[in-house]
Amino acid sequence: MNNEPLLELTGINKSFGPVQALKDISLTLRANEIHGLLGGNGAGKTTLMNVLFGLYKPDSGLIKLRGQPVEINAPRDAIELGIGMVHQHFLQVNDFTVAENIVLGTRLPNRPTMDLSGAVEQITELSIRFGLEVNPKAPIAALPMGVRQRVEILKALYRGVEVLILDEPTTHLTPQEVEMLFQSLQLMVAEGMSVVFITHKLREVMAACHTISVLRDGQRMFTRPRDEVTEEMIVRNMVGGDIALEESLLFSEAPEDERTYDRQAQPVLDIQGMRIDGEATALVDSVSLAVRPGEILGIAGVAGNGQQEMVEGILGIRPIAAGAVLFDGQDVSGAATEHILGLGVAYVPQDRQQDGFLPKASIAQNLILGAQRQQPYSSRRGFMNWKAIYTSARSLIAEYSIRAQDPKEPAANLSGGNIQRAMLARAFSRPIRLLIAHNPTSGLDIPSVEFIYSRILDHRQQGGATLLLSENMDELVLLSDRIAVIYEGRIAGILDRSTFDAYEIGRLMSGANDDD
Amino acid sequence: MADTPLINFASLVMMAVVPYLLASQGTMLAGRTGLFIVSQEGVMLVGASVGFLGAYLFDSLAAGMVLAMLAGGLFGVALAYFTTNLKMDQFVIGLALFFLGLGLSSLLFKIVVGVTLQPPIIPTLDRLPIPLLSEIPVLGPILFDQNILVYLSILLSLFLYFFLYKTSTGLSLRAVGENPKAADSLGVSVTRWRYATTIIGSMLMGLAGAYLPMVYTGTYTDGIVRGRGWLAIALTFFGGWSPQGILLGSFFFALVEILALRVQVTDIGLPHQFLRMLPYLATILVMVFAFRRVRAPAFLGQNYDRESRTSS
Repeated sequence: MNNEPLLELTGINKSFGPVQALKDISLTLRANEIHGLLGGNGAGKTTLMNVLFGLYKPDSGLIKLRGQPVEINAPRDAIELGIGMVHQHFLQVNDFTVAENIVLGTRLPNRPTMDLSGAVEQITELSIRFGLEVNPKAPIAALPMGVRQRVEILKALYRGVEVLILDEPTTHLTPQEVEMLFQSLQLMVAEGMSVVFITHKLREVMAACHTISVLRDGQRMFTRPRDEVTEEMIVRNMVGGDIALEESLLFSEAPEDERTYDRQAQPVLDIQGMRIDGEATALVDSVSLAVRPGEILGIAGVAGNGQQEMVEGILGIRPIAAGAVLFDGQDVSGAATEHILGLGVAYVPQDRQQDGFLPKASIAQNLILGAQRQQPYSSRRGFMNWKAIYTSARSLIAEYSIRAQDPKEPAANLSGGNIQRAMLARAFSRPIRLLIAHNPTSGLDIPSVEFIYSRILDHRQQGGATLLLSENMDELVLLSDRIAVIYEGRIAGILDRSTFDAYEIGRLMSGANDDD
Repeated sequence: MADTPLINFASLVMMAVVPYLLASQGTMLAGRTGLFIVSQEGVMLVGASVGFLGAYLFDSLAAGMVLAMLAGGLFGVALAYFTTNLKMDQFVIGLALFFLGLGLSSLLFKIVVGVTLQPPIIPTLDRLPIPLLSEIPVLGPILFDQNILVYLSILLSLFLYFFLYKTSTGLSLRAVGENPKAADSLGVSVTRWRYATTIIGSMLMGLAGAYLPMVYTGTYTDGIVRGRGWLAIALTFFGGWSPQGILLGSFFFALVEILALRVQVTDIGLPHQFLRMLPYLATILVMVFAFRRVRAPAFLGQNYDRESRTSS
């Protein structure tokens, strides 16, 4: 292996307002290596790589490429220097084809025919060389997330990058796709590239990386070869002193025993043959599911297979074309969302930016959102009781350790993880019978994840029902009593806790049963 | 070839296409990078005023057109600066510029010409028959016996079509309006494209305004644009934010305008105000019934901030 440093970052500082996101960070990347960058939410992984890619301007620091100091003021500079980045949220133009998305911004000769066949050939060659199968002529919007991610990687390879940064690349992938991705990455570094793999998933780093760096609170804790680190060492450094690993849910070796709950009880939530129509095809089709008191029903599936629509159908946000939704045996299909929530349902949406909170409203206002017409927040005459609102907000901020100066500050000032904590605080701050949570721990640091898992399990213990939609397989296996797999809007199979198997679930998630 | 009333009518429609077409293509061009111009009416008024004054003072229609485009371009610079550099709301700035143009056009005329009952007159734009083609029966006098701006504005539309859809530069431009972050991450400068298209778009609007005194009235009067600027926004939606759609739609808008004029002089029992309402009505209907197909650029009207943590 080559030991020449390819890229060196020295003394990088970056602040957002009063928050110092990066504190004097240094990092060295070598050729032929997959470098895992681990850290909890807000540790600064993505910020650091955004600095390297020219999206953020560092307050101070030096970047050297092959020993030469370089200036990166915009993504354009980064690309010219051979640095490419695959963002967690894909940056693709939905209207364009795969090839158009890939060639965008390259100096293609301006021919009046927009003939991309040369580019298409090159893309095909790259996709064969690195095992990244795509159809260059397909419109991008119709493709599954796994393929769209290959497009993002091809975008960088097409530009001939030597350093490829992948930000949480496995979020949208099935276990099988994750393995394929790792194989492709190995092929890339074998050709002399250097790959930075940003993640908060320990197992992936241990499986794929040659070198591992851990960040916490904007500082680098250590960088070591894969062989010299243990999982425990990583966790201790990611989390700091405030975790008792021995009691941790997250790192328990054997998932707990068989669970019991009354399988004959009347379901809290009973979905009967639900169908939701989209523009051309049904987004959700003949879905029948029941969640009983004290049960956690997990829903596995690759993002975009109808999970979001199904939840919106349950909550009355989206009209359902056929079937019924029963809550405690009472038909609530077609009822207003406010009515359904009022029956004791809490919803934690996956897209916190879009559906979860109001960025310009204060944190306190966000924490009572949905209950703003109820006492004590509002008097019977409809006047807001701000004193009660702020009192409750302060106690929730403390209880859920939301990092905020003041409940009056705008919610947009919170980082993603803290917004998520606020949304969970909101969900659990009222008495509920049914919790619907969609990717509740995405992007959270380990103590937060632990905290949320224990809250969900408490809720189960107290006889509450939970519908848990998640793209995190470990999370589903750890928490669920049963797991239903959704594929293209249909339930592809339901597994009982005793028969959980990540590979079987992955097989169902990719629609393997369709061929039978 | 004798001028029949119908040929005459069609020829007038062709002539009326120009201001709609120029202003809408300008709107579309900037909109394709995500910058939604709403100051058309004001910029066209300034274009009409400056274009007339330029032609009058320098005794040259070409000079008037160039000045009108420069004046429009300045409005474009202002809009781009306030929205891309200062990241202020596009609609607020656009409306402010509309009011600025409304007042400025009138003021400029009064400073240069003064208040007079007998405003000065400039010669109107000559017809420029194209040899041979204008001899074709029926089509010749309608299509090929027009003033130069009729030809140019149609050629511009064709050019824009090829530019946007058939060149890689056009691909970059469209990407900015569809997903600025994606474009930025691939080294396409969002700010630069927004400046360029907003300035060019506003220049086209200035020229659209100058067309009115140069073809119809020979002089400037307050309110000469008569809502064509607002209609241009409607036309841009009507045309689905595409050059070819706008080209087709502009014929419809021009047809209605001429029809309304005809109805005014030959009383057929239909109030001309009703006809003037038609383009707006048609736009609403299109928006209601064909909204799925008529798609505006995804980031239309939204400013882009690279370091913003809330927009993704």
